[in-house]
Amino acid sequence: MKLRICALVAGLAFAATVSAQTTLNVITAGDQNMVDYVNNYLAPKFEAANPGVKVRAVGTGPGDAGSQKIYEKLSAQQKAGSNEWDVDVAVIHQLASATMVNENLLMKYRGDIPAGKMVTRDTAKNALGANVDGYVLPMFHSQIVFAYNPDLVKSPPKSFAELNEWVKKNPKQFGYNGVKGGMSGVGFVTGWVSAYSGLADKLENGPYDPASGAAIDKALTGLKEFNQYVVMTPGNAGTLDMLNRGEIAMGPVWVDMFYTWQADGRMSPKIKLVLPSPGLPGQPMYYVIPAKAAHAALAKKFIELAESPEVQADGIVKQFNWYPGIDPQFVQPKLDQAAWNKLFTDVSPADLSKYGRPFPLSPYFKQITEGYERVVLK
Amino acid sequence: MTSVAIAHPTTRRGIGLVLIAPALAVVGLFFVAPLVMSAVVAFRGRDGGFTLEHFAKAFDFYTTDLLFSLAIVVTSTLLIGAVAIAIAGYLTLGEHPRLVAILRWLYRWPLFIPFVVAGQLMRTFLAKNGMMNHVLVGIGLIEPLQAQSFLDWRGIVIAFVWKQAPFVTLLLAGAMASVERTHIEAARNLGARPLRLLVDIVLPQVRGTLLVGLVLSFVTMLSVLSVPLMINPNSPTMITVDVAYRISTFGDYPVANALCLLTLGLAAIGAVFYLRHAAARAEG
Repeated sequence: MKLRICALVAGLAFAATVSAQTTLNVITAGDQNMVDYVNNYLAPKFEAANPGVKVRAVGTGPGDAGSQKIYEKLSAQQKAGSNEWDVDVAVIHQLASATMVNENLLMKYRGDIPAGKMVTRDTAKNALGANVDGYVLPMFHSQIVFAYNPDLVKSPPKSFAELNEWVKKNPKQFGYNGVKGGMSGVGFVTGWVSAYSGLADKLENGPYDPASGAAIDKALTGLKEFNQYVVMTPGNAGTLDMLNRGEIAMGPVWVDMFYTWQADGRMSPKIKLVLPSPGLPGQPMYYVIPAKAAHAALAKKFIELAESPEVQADGIVKQFNWYPGIDPQFVQPKLDQAAWNKLFTDVSPADLSKYGRPFPLSPYFKQITEGYERVVLK
Repeated sequence: MTSVAIAHPTTRRGIGLVLIAPALAVVGLFFVAPLVMSAVVAFRGRDGGFTLEHFAKAFDFYTTDLLFSLAIVVTSTLLIGAVAIAIAGYLTLGEHPRLVAILRWLYRWPLFIPFVVAGQLMRTFLAKNGMMNHVLVGIGLIEPLQAQSFLDWRGIVIAFVWKQAPFVTLLLAGAMASVERTHIEAARNLGARPLRLLVDIVLPQVRGTLLVGLVLSFVTMLSVLSVPLMINPNSPTMITVDVAYRISTFGDYPVANALCLLTLGLAAIGAVFYLRHAAARAEG
């Protein structure tokens, strides 16, 4: 009996020490590749450098929908008046970051970590027109491009106007996922509106003018006609899938998803990329720390690790084929020439700087996506 | 003494209320309360007053999708009825015991498969490069270039019918089994062919069960998100996809709730049929 009590007490003490480790809660929007990145790459590195800490990553799904879920979670905790929130690090899209900064859901941390000085791109301060300076650090920069099958597409269209001509001669060979299926489709639509509305500069830089609705709707009417010659795909992955199986010959894809699929053997190595003029959007995803995160100091250490040039070179560029979040010149010394070139084979740095656009300002973004439902889908 | 107390009508009523209170509480808490909250959000304007603007927006953007949803679900219900009658009829009237046994074992499999899994199965089965087309090309029925992708409204109907037909068949087969054999034998002796037996003798007696099964299927199919989301990327699409899109991308709960209330209206059509039948049953 005494032995049993001793054993029980010993067991409980052991359990208590095991559970004394801290858990860092990382919650990330985006496709499954985002969760995999934290679980398979960042977490082991961080846990090795910080014994007694466990990193727990949860995904909330692709697109702005995933970021919306994170916003709702933080907002609920804020409204409930909790003192310690259960999210330490969040990875979100630009649209949600603007909302969260507005509602004081985030902590200003960029000045507190050294990597904060390695980011000079505009995206660190400006999220679709909202000022988020100090609250965010870009994790990576992604880009939407057209992927095409060179066996079926001898000379790929280099602009939206050329694409419009091409689909009429090759019906049902181009596919994209609309606005409801994922951000690559949304990016294609905003790229189309930028090209055909004549408002490209205003859409990106503002000021917001509600009267531009007429020009946007006119561009969308052209898109409605365009849709008759194309195939709708079920999502970001759907476009890649159909491209690989030869069901479509061309479609808008995320560069990083594309290269990752090629590396995994899920995409034929002969598929190529092209970035049309006047451009297609790309976006950063941001690391943020909630205002009342339970482990803020650990969170800052985690982000410092994630933004260090070594991790950016090895994880972001080499493994996951994203463009780096910090300025490229800090990352280049840590990469070999081949790895650096791979990212810039089909799409040259010059193309990228000219035709890699940001998404339109939030009010225009909403006007375009709602306009799509109103004009194109009716 | 207790029996006298229970016999008193007020006590009886009191005990009755206490007994149904838990069930009533669950329905009230998990159905009526959210329904009322949903209606409040759908009719509440930005300033807190009553407004119809969310319904106006819902109709402006999604009338086609509402009609599409109704058309798909009605078509699927009719096809489910046909398939269920055919299978249940054969199980009841079939002459070959072996075939009947095999059919009885086979038809129930889709019952255990969730809608999401059914959606995924259909995605790979009905695609242009999918299994169905491979089989058709393999047996020489079509040329490879003629292969079509069924991943549009046809795919949704196929997925719904495949998934729900076994459920209705199960109900119907049970009801048909309890039809008096003497009726069937009598008609057979008089020379009735099996189809005549099914349509004129058996079916009229199981009308009630068929109606219940079809109404339940109708209402279930209206609520499914996974199947249209996975199978139909085109427009128009089912209302559930629009509700999810409104909430996930815009956080637009008022319009989403308005759409849900409209869907409730559609489901009410089925409920009317069900209640009329149930009322007739209770009286008869």
